[in-house]
Amino acid sequence: MKLDPSFIWTALVQILSAIPTTLYITVVSVLIGFVIGVAVALIRLYRVPLLHPLAVGYVTFIRGTPMLTHLLLIYFGLPVLIDGLAVHFGWSFRSVSIPMIGFAYISFSITAGAYMSEVVRSGLLAVDRGQLEAAHSIGMTTPQALKRIVFPQALAASLPNLSNSVIGMLHGSTLAFTVSVVDINAKAQIVASTNWKFFEAYLAAALIFWALTFLIERVTSLIEKRINLYNRGGVA
Amino acid sequence: MGAPFDITFVFSFLPKLLGTLGTTLLIVACSLLTGIVVGFLVALPRLYKIPVLKTCAEIYISFFRGTPILIQLFLFYYGLPEIMKLVHVDLTRTPVLVFVILTYGLHTGAYMSEMIRASVMAVDKGQVEAAYATGMTGFQAFTRIVLPQALGIAVPVFSNLVIALLKDTSLAFTLGVMEMSGKAQTLGSLTQHFIETYIALALIYLVISFTIEKLLLVAEHHLLRHEKRNTPEKKLFKINKSWSYRRIIAELGPGKGGTGL
Repeated sequence: MKLDPSFIWTALVQILSAIPTTLYITVVSVLIGFVIGVAVALIRLYRVPLLHPLAVGYVTFIRGTPMLTHLLLIYFGLPVLIDGLAVHFGWSFRSVSIPMIGFAYISFSITAGAYMSEVVRSGLLAVDRGQLEAAHSIGMTTPQALKRIVFPQALAASLPNLSNSVIGMLHGSTLAFTVSVVDINAKAQIVASTNWKFFEAYLAAALIFWALTFLIERVTSLIEKRINLYNRGGVA
Repeated sequence: MGAPFDITFVFSFLPKLLGTLGTTLLIVACSLLTGIVVGFLVALPRLYKIPVLKTCAEIYISFFRGTPILIQLFLFYYGLPEIMKLVHVDLTRTPVLVFVILTYGLHTGAYMSEMIRASVMAVDKGQVEAAYATGMTGFQAFTRIVLPQALGIAVPVFSNLVIALLKDTSLAFTLGVMEMSGKAQTLGSLTQHFIETYIALALIYLVISFTIEKLLLVAEHHLLRHEKRNTPEKKLFKINKSWSYRRIIAELGPGKGGTGL
């Protein structure tokens, strides 16, 4: 093996084709995770009976175990569950028809949900309760007050954490190779082993991830500036 | 897929997986030590604003925080021997564990340096000035005034980093290290009881991270015993604004983003 700097560029071009898969996994898991996160956070904030301990257990379990075990548990466990139910209820649906990337979507969404719930919860806690009371006093209903007063402020407060979570999921999507999804990492592996140039291929993959992360950080800081406009302080 | 589910296997797998717990903890401990040392070395140029070193430190942090740990593992495992070959050092016989610990150490080091920087900056500058005013030297002011306070502030972030590191070690199997996840995969494919193995694996990780969290929480309470503590969770939508170090830490964002895999 000899170092071949020009191959970094070749590998970079080949790996580019796998970017959409990585982005799909990230976006889907973040979006579904956010929905799960809001639900779990509201359950925990309002201490909904029965659901509250369930939500706490979910968050503790997911945050206490590696993402890899979630993926493998879903990958091996879900087909057994689905096929068992299908036989029991006589469905024609079988787990074989779930595409590999489906397992990645499901498992990463569950993972993201637990982390997102913490982000959402801390964001909501950062908004002063007096704001809600003030909104009530001028005659807003609770959903109105939440939507118009609390959520915009909570979003601004949780934006840095949110961007961290998105980056975390972007990096976590590299695990998808264990269930044979061809994302950036898997593509780099393929390029590396067919050309026997491992270092160059992984360097290219690292550069792509670095650029993507940088992009997410830039975009967040732009949004943050826009969203915190009201918060400038001073006079007028 | 595999043999039918049998809960008894979970219990029979637990001791087998615990046999490799040592390797996992060894990786965590060694990389943590490396990480703290690297973190300090990288944080200092940024805290004291040393011209060229500061830029180097920033690039280092940006790279290790901007790329997935999995890619870094492969990069070091395949890349380091080739680079060292250029200076005629043969690394082909080095055990894989060394590469793993080095990668995790440098990865954690980037986060550690941010943690150290954020917690030192969270200590009021006036305190240092007051220390100077009473005649302390710079070193004395740092070790007697800044460090004790910064330690307490850093503990929650540190706890997150340790747990993230613990969970990241599950990736070492990709290079063939026989830690808990690697052992679990072997057990799974030997017996075809995949679900049971991974449940057992998840349980062990859960117990360890829970223990680490509790231990460091005790340490935090001890280090911050001079401060008044409050629990904002008790009241809906309310946080005490005067308790500002957490806000500063959150704004600097030293914590490991999102998942920690």
